[in-house]
Amino acid sequence: MPLYREGAPSGLVVEDPWLRLADDAAVPADGMVLVSFARWREARAALLARRGPVGVVLANTDPVEALAADVSRLDLMVLHFPKFSDGRAYSQARLLRGRFGYQGELRASGGVLQDQIAFMLRCGFDSFESEQKGFGEALAKARTLFSVVYQPTEDGRSPASLLRLKRRNVLVS
Amino acid sequence: MPDTYFYRYDDYDRTLVSERVDQFRDQVRRRLAGELTEEQFKPLRLTNGLYLQLHAYMLRVAIPYGTLSSRQLRKLADISRKYDRGYGHFTTRQNLQLNWIKLEDAPDALAALAEVDMHALQTSGNCIRNVTADHFAGAAADEIEDPRIWAEIVRQWSTLHPEFTFLPRKFKIAITGSPNDRAAVRVHDIGLRLWRNEQGEVGFEVIVGGGLGRTPMIGKTLREFLPKNELLAYLEATLRVYNRYGRRDNLYKARIKILVHEVGVEKMRADVEAEYAETRDGLLGLSDETIEAISQQFAPPDLPPRSNLAGAVEALRLEDRDFALWLKSNVAPHRVKGYAIVTASLKPAGAPPGDASAVQMEGVADIADAYSQGELRVSHEQNLIFPHVAIEDLPAVYAALGRLGFAEANVGKITDIIACPGLDYCALANARSIPVAQRISSHFAGLARQHDIGDLKIKISGCINACGHHHVGHIGILGVDKNGVELYQISLGGDVDFGKTALGTILGPAVTADKVVEAVDSLVTTYLDSRGDGERFVDTFRRIGAEPFKDRMYAAL
Amino acid sequence: MAKNLSGDLQVASANRLSDGVVVWLDDAGDWTSRLDRAAIARDKRTGEILLLRAQAEAFAVIDPFLVAVTEDDDGTIEPLSLREKIRASGLTFDVIAADAVRYA
Repeated sequence: MPLYREGAPSGLVVEDPWLRLADDAAVPADGMVLVSFARWREARAALLARRGPVGVVLANTDPVEALAADVSRLDLMVLHFPKFSDGRAYSQARLLRGRFGYQGELRASGGVLQDQIAFMLRCGFDSFESEQKGFGEALAKARTLFSVVYQPTEDGRSPASLLRLKRRNVLVS
Repeated sequence: MPDTYFYRYDDYDRTLVSERVDQFRDQVRRRLAGELTEEQFKPLRLTNGLYLQLHAYMLRVAIPYGTLSSRQLRKLADISRKYDRGYGHFTTRQNLQLNWIKLEDAPDALAALAEVDMHALQTSGNCIRNVTADHFAGAAADEIEDPRIWAEIVRQWSTLHPEFTFLPRKFKIAITGSPNDRAAVRVHDIGLRLWRNEQGEVGFEVIVGGGLGRTPMIGKTLREFLPKNELLAYLEATLRVYNRYGRRDNLYKARIKILVHEVGVEKMRADVEAEYAETRDGLLGLSDETIEAISQQFAPPDLPPRSNLAGAVEALRLEDRDFALWLKSNVAPHRVKGYAIVTASLKPAGAPPGDASAVQMEGVADIADAYSQGELRVSHEQNLIFPHVAIEDLPAVYAALGRLGFAEANVGKITDIIACPGLDYCALANARSIPVAQRISSHFAGLARQHDIGDLKIKISGCINACGHHHVGHIGILGVDKNGVELYQISLGGDVDFGKTALGTILGPAVTADKVVEAVDSLVTTYLDSRGDGERFVDTFRRIGAEPFKDRMYAAL
Repeated sequence: MAKNLSGDLQVASANRLSDGVVVWLDDAGDWTSRLDRAAIARDKRTGEILLLRAQAEAFAVIDPFLVAVTEDDDGTIEPLSLREKIRASGLTFDVIAADAVRYA
């Protein structure tokens, strides 16, 4: 599956350095491994004891709260969209980024289409697996689609309400 | 031209709406070029208000909290002429539907709307829909606070909300600021009711999980009293719980009412409060300054108090019986002495409920400019409202409305029928609604009889989705399809009045289309024969129950 | 007198992508807004083939489907269901005209 990363040169597919481990596969001693949420819960200590970064793949029904204490130990989290119209992972993303302070790569997988990118960026996703033609070009433009936003979210953009207040205060002072 | 007395877009709002039009133009281009499949495109067009109906695309234009200026209404008339067939349909959600839009024209139609600070954003799709509010807001004599201030705050927060655009199902929010609920807050996904507590503070009662459709339910109170400045944090918490835990395995069980029903309101409350405890101190808290800035935009027009007694009104009332009836049914008290709220009935005898031609829209806009501060409202009863009319101007407004065919003295009466577009237009419908409404309306056209019958709300839906709100009609009529034949199921006793909200009781087997008028006539006769002093139809029904109505109706058919 | 009410007679219909207009597939494989030009499948098997043809020609239309029709002695075809009748012949009431002030 082609992988795209925000900030990569326009339209470019980036290489995926992560080894996606089946639940019954042996854990290599080093390298970047990506495991399921179930595997993580079961083998957390062993995974952390090895050399090399660990990432976790979550189903959109997995409780992200269970990862709150480990966000600084994980370098990748993959959130899944079983269909593009199933929006549960948007909430997971905002909780991971906003509430638990996760700083690593946050990847969207599954039904990931270019018309959702602007929403995904606002919720804190920064990498994307997509088979859609033109996805990379769309990603490069996605941040400029809307120069105004109404909600404060994890992307740190100032919503219109805040900008209005600032403008008013400048006028007053 | 008078200034508007409601929210005025600034450059931020305009930029966002125009960027959204550009985005949609590109999406339409990609769809026409075959780069997007219909499955991929459908949610994109739906969140821009564009449906595919039986004969054409339909554009559902948002009229946030039902408020619009004469300038906006003229533009709607213009758009209906240029891109449609010169008429529009006002809906039960205070929107306007244009029934004959071409996909290739839709971006231009949206750009034209944007010229008057309007859009069709989120009038469809599994997102937070256009927010509705009391259609008498800002004018009603019984109002505690103008709910539109809050509806605008919610409009902005919900517009292109990145987390809540792919919810399990659509999500409707309604707000009322009066003890007499005209916004039907108990039958929405979230209903907000402003009220004053014992300490004298005004806040929201938050009601969740109401709704009509396949599984009608009355909403339950999630929070008795929510401080106003915490509204968005609380809504965000509620929507997040719904987005994460609402069912997605079955389209018919995906609304929040099913989640509330399945987990119970106590568990729902606990989940929302837990989420809210985390969000309340975040960036969604509303500063007094922000609230004040929006409130100022809804500052009411300066209406110099006048006399409630106008000689010309009194003279015409005595001389013209229809005018006297119109004063009773279509004119409501205003908060300022000497003024009134006037409802233009979009239900002339025999007409499709809620439809207006381009010329009629322009005529209504002219009346608003001349007599109502250039302001209009759309009611969920599919009528148009002049919120600020001087009592002495009532004869002139009545005459002007008469020339448009909108002066029918029938508001709240048996011919003020709510009806969805039904099988004539709608891809979801099982049976026709409009022709049934037309026949009932023609049958009961006489005004004296209508006023004798009194308040009686007939609501007709062409399918179980209940866009015509049949569950809460005093008489509800639901069209069903049985082996290719249209049948109509009749229910009695529904109500949306606050504190009395009730779902109707189905009388029995559905009746054929040609028997609907006789059935309604028999129900009315039963009421007239049984009513006590001052009893409305629905009061008599509550007192004597369904049996007498049912027995007589089926005997008559 | 209408014949063949069994539902065996079928035509393929869809809405045109560009403007939503109701169209039917004709014998040449083009989409037409005239029902009288629609290609008729006379049994189940040709119905399936007709639908496959319609789907193959679906670039400029949305979601083709089969519609059961009846055929008169003079060859006039009419959809069986009320919904399809309305799709074929339009609204069952008169709408208000753009310049009308009263509903007539």
